[in-house]
Amino acid sequence: VNQVGRSIPRLEARAKVTGRADYVHNMRVPGMLVAKIFRSTVAHGKILSIDVSAAREIEGVHSVVTGEDIRKIIPNPYFGPAFHDQPILALDKVRFVGEPVAVVLSTDPHIAEQAVQLISAEYEELPAVFDEVEAMTSSAIVHDELKPAGTFADLKHLAGRKNTNITLDYQLRRGDVEKAFGEADRIFEHTFKTGQVLHVPLESHASLAEPGHDSITIHTSSQTPSFVRTEIARLLGWPENRVSVRVPFLGGGYGAKVYVKMEALAAALALLARSPVKVALTMEEQFYTISKHATTFRIKSGVDKDGRIVARACDVYWNGGAYADIGPRVAQKSGFTAAGPYDIENVRIDSAEVYTNRPPAGALRGFGIPQLVWAYESHTDIIARELGLDPVEFRRKNLLRDGRPQATGTIMKDAAVEQVLDLLVEKMNWKSRFDHGDNASGIRRGRGIAIGFKASISPTTSGAIVNVSADGSIVLYTNTIDMGQGSDTAMAQIAAEVLNVPAETVKVVHGNTDVAPYDMGTLGSRSTFHMGNAVRVAAEDARNRLAALAAEVGLPAGTNYDVKEIFRKRYGMQAGNVIGTGTYVPRYTPPDPKTGQSDNVTPFWMVGGTAVELTVDTWSGDIYIIRMVNVVDAGNPLNPKIVKTQISGGAIMQLGFTLYEDMVFDGGQVTNASFADYKIPGFRDIPNMESDWVTSSQENGPFGAKGVGESATFGVSPAIANAIHDAVGIRLTELPIKKETLMRALRAAQGSPLPEDE
Amino acid sequence: MIPFDWVEPDTLQEAVALLDPEDTSVRPIAGGTALMLMMKAGVFTPTRLVSLAKIEKRYSEIRLDHEGVLHVGAMATLSDLEQSPHVKEHFKVIRRALRTLSNVRVRNVARVGGALAHGDPHMDLPPLFAALGARVVAIGPNGTREIPVEDLYAGYYETTLAKNELIAEAIVPPLNGAAAAYSKATSRSADDWPAVNVGVRVEMEDGRFRQLRIVVSAATEKVTRLHRTEEFLTGRKDNDRERVHQSLAIATSEVSFLSDAHGSVPYKKELLRAHLGRALIEARP
Repeated sequence: VNQVGRSIPRLEARAKVTGRADYVHNMRVPGMLVAKIFRSTVAHGKILSIDVSAAREIEGVHSVVTGEDIRKIIPNPYFGPAFHDQPILALDKVRFVGEPVAVVLSTDPHIAEQAVQLISAEYEELPAVFDEVEAMTSSAIVHDELKPAGTFADLKHLAGRKNTNITLDYQLRRGDVEKAFGEADRIFEHTFKTGQVLHVPLESHASLAEPGHDSITIHTSSQTPSFVRTEIARLLGWPENRVSVRVPFLGGGYGAKVYVKMEALAAALALLARSPVKVALTMEEQFYTISKHATTFRIKSGVDKDGRIVARACDVYWNGGAYADIGPRVAQKSGFTAAGPYDIENVRIDSAEVYTNRPPAGALRGFGIPQLVWAYESHTDIIARELGLDPVEFRRKNLLRDGRPQATGTIMKDAAVEQVLDLLVEKMNWKSRFDHGDNASGIRRGRGIAIGFKASISPTTSGAIVNVSADGSIVLYTNTIDMGQGSDTAMAQIAAEVLNVPAETVKVVHGNTDVAPYDMGTLGSRSTFHMGNAVRVAAEDARNRLAALAAEVGLPAGTNYDVKEIFRKRYGMQAGNVIGTGTYVPRYTPPDPKTGQSDNVTPFWMVGGTAVELTVDTWSGDIYIIRMVNVVDAGNPLNPKIVKTQISGGAIMQLGFTLYEDMVFDGGQVTNASFADYKIPGFRDIPNMESDWVTSSQENGPFGAKGVGESATFGVSPAIANAIHDAVGIRLTELPIKKETLMRALRAAQGSPLPEDE
Repeated sequence: MIPFDWVEPDTLQEAVALLDPEDTSVRPIAGGTALMLMMKAGVFTPTRLVSLAKIEKRYSEIRLDHEGVLHVGAMATLSDLEQSPHVKEHFKVIRRALRTLSNVRVRNVARVGGALAHGDPHMDLPPLFAALGARVVAIGPNGTREIPVEDLYAGYYETTLAKNELIAEAIVPPLNGAAAAYSKATSRSADDWPAVNVGVRVEMEDGRFRQLRIVVSAATEKVTRLHRTEEFLTGRKDNDRERVHQSLAIATSEVSFLSDAHGSVPYKKELLRAHLGRALIEARP
């Protein structure tokens, strides 16, 4: 039986539904203290004083810790993947409302919570900046100096820059855009915006640090255990082998748990208190931890007489919030696809990420791509309609096909852009006549389509170990984290395929830096491809070693011997093991910093599209999605059932960002920081939905596979906006699409605009 | 969380005695779905909670009397009400409304009495029950009284119940052929608190509105009955679209709207027009 391509149930499913799976959030260890956080109430200010005296006096409080206390054990307590800009607890300044300023430790979380209420701080307020476009030129400066971490070569040139909020000003130049605009038949220019939104994993961030003898163990809900180990070792000035990072299952990640989140705080507190310390955030504290970038995207296209897009200029502004996190990489690594999956000769992209006094923004399912697709697929639709062309035909005329250069100059390969569009068109029966409803009933119907693409982040490394025991059973060691996406199952299937055993019999040991090799992180849909390749190599290595051992003990090559027999013959009993190792790092050519050009910018492309049919109730402004079809390029799916749930899950998540979710701000303060007022989709919001894919083997992927965790997010938002336009002729340019905004636009179009408020 | 007393009396009368007419930090707790959120958010810090979990079983029963009147024990869960055969058969509008109320887990725990006594204008049952002409039986230290649901609310999170009065049951008169509808608008996800909700009960005779009850909430400080709109339509032909359209303007003028995170006042006015308009057109026996 082939192990790859089988829809086996997830290996951990039973453990999860019977409550046996481990989560850091549930962990307790003897002598454990819990931390509760006192947070800033101002958006930007100098810390004048912090009064912790009353909190210290509460019975049951172990200690109260401020940023200055952290400095005693970590002299330079700033962390971050792109910039070393984020203090473990605020030092000298606070930069957003909700920033951690002090911590109370107690064995009782309720006592710690009560003591936090008694802490007070005085600040000298500084001018603050909240908008991403204003931050480009604002005199309010969030950080005095840029401090690149040095990890990423493409950020090194920013070191020491002062008087700026711009964390990265990425640019791409291809052809001559201005000349092409001059020669174009028609020019179109629009601006699109997206709001700041949240990941909302049902398990909030949790880290438990246990100090040992000259060592520390951190149990943490992290998507990046290897990075956490490196970063904590750097902060402490210790060798990496004295830091152990362990990750059980995660209750969702979505990019919220990449790089360092609560780990540095937990480690510092544990070393100060000389006791195990757990930092477990409440759901509400997610609003002050990490988010998805709000954006402004100005996009301009020139089109010739034949309906060919001849030039496209993109100015993208990413609202990074108070700390860079991985934001500069979002601006670059997603930024270079801002012109969309279209074959355009002349492209200019300027993609800038900025600091503001909002909660930090980082990676969230799609890594910036959904914000870009929102703009370019809305823009593309407007152009088609203004030219009087069918939106599908206009796209098809301009589509980026395999063998043609993308805006970076990299030749497209194994990217099923056209096949995804074709399947959407077929499923929607796009060419048939469409009934738009009537005005008398107030119910209008519309349909829309959108496609997007993404490059896998590069270059990144994954390592894996396959251990064949003397009875033939197999253990796989990997630092890929199963956070609900099914990676343990997929990796077991790859190892099982190579070693010819049922996938269900493979044990996966994940998330332990003491035993599993380095992995860059479970993020950006990279694991199936990168770790999948590493696991395949490791399993092949084990298979080769088994064959060598068989030859050594005199078994003839190619015979159908039992693995147990090899070990028994070699060691005289059931003993020993065979270890296979694998490392995978794809080839990559760094882009030219001035033009963004590279002949190999990514190891693989992801493609996704959505088509939507909906009604708009012109009386109430309600939007009702009748049908939503999501199609992705799935490469060769390792586990079709899991691929399907990744597609539906991604689409539902983006549906929330399209229609409901929005962090609402008043002077830097989030005014809806609870899940009664920040609404994610519920069961009754899930439309009639189809999830499908085109199978197109990824030549360099493990058994032709590629990542699919994000692809279904790409097209959802613009497909909905395009369908609304089709239904009622109203073009909405801001996410989320609020019903009130639609209602106001409807009334304005009917000649009876609504007053502001009463 | 600061420690507090938890008491579990065996009878409703004992529960009443354990409440304090003056002390707002002493409260009864039924399903706790609203109270726990308030405690978690730190807006309510109890000194004593009087649990009603162990009071007499009869206060959880749902029965239909020989006149077709529905008696709902205050401790019946919203799911009990939703699944009740009497409701399925005779009060389909209640069942339809409940299926859009929050989610299954909340409905399995929340109690009818709590949903009526909480006083949050965003809740679903109060405007629906007020439109159906329901009343509650309240028990206090000095005896029992009946209060029409439309008179149960004094303001935002305020009821006309005394602090030591408890709802024992809700009484819903039979529809007797009247049409009823409940409609709500959520401006974000479907399980969000409504921006506007409206309950309608319409009796028809020879193609005319014989009697109407129209109740609006959520956009308002409290459950609000639209008397002028009702009068404007009473006796008029139900297919008089123009008249119905004019009534919507009266409806928006007699409601005192509040703007909040769910929307502005002008938006909520449009929502009321849309939802009341559809309810009046679609409310047929």
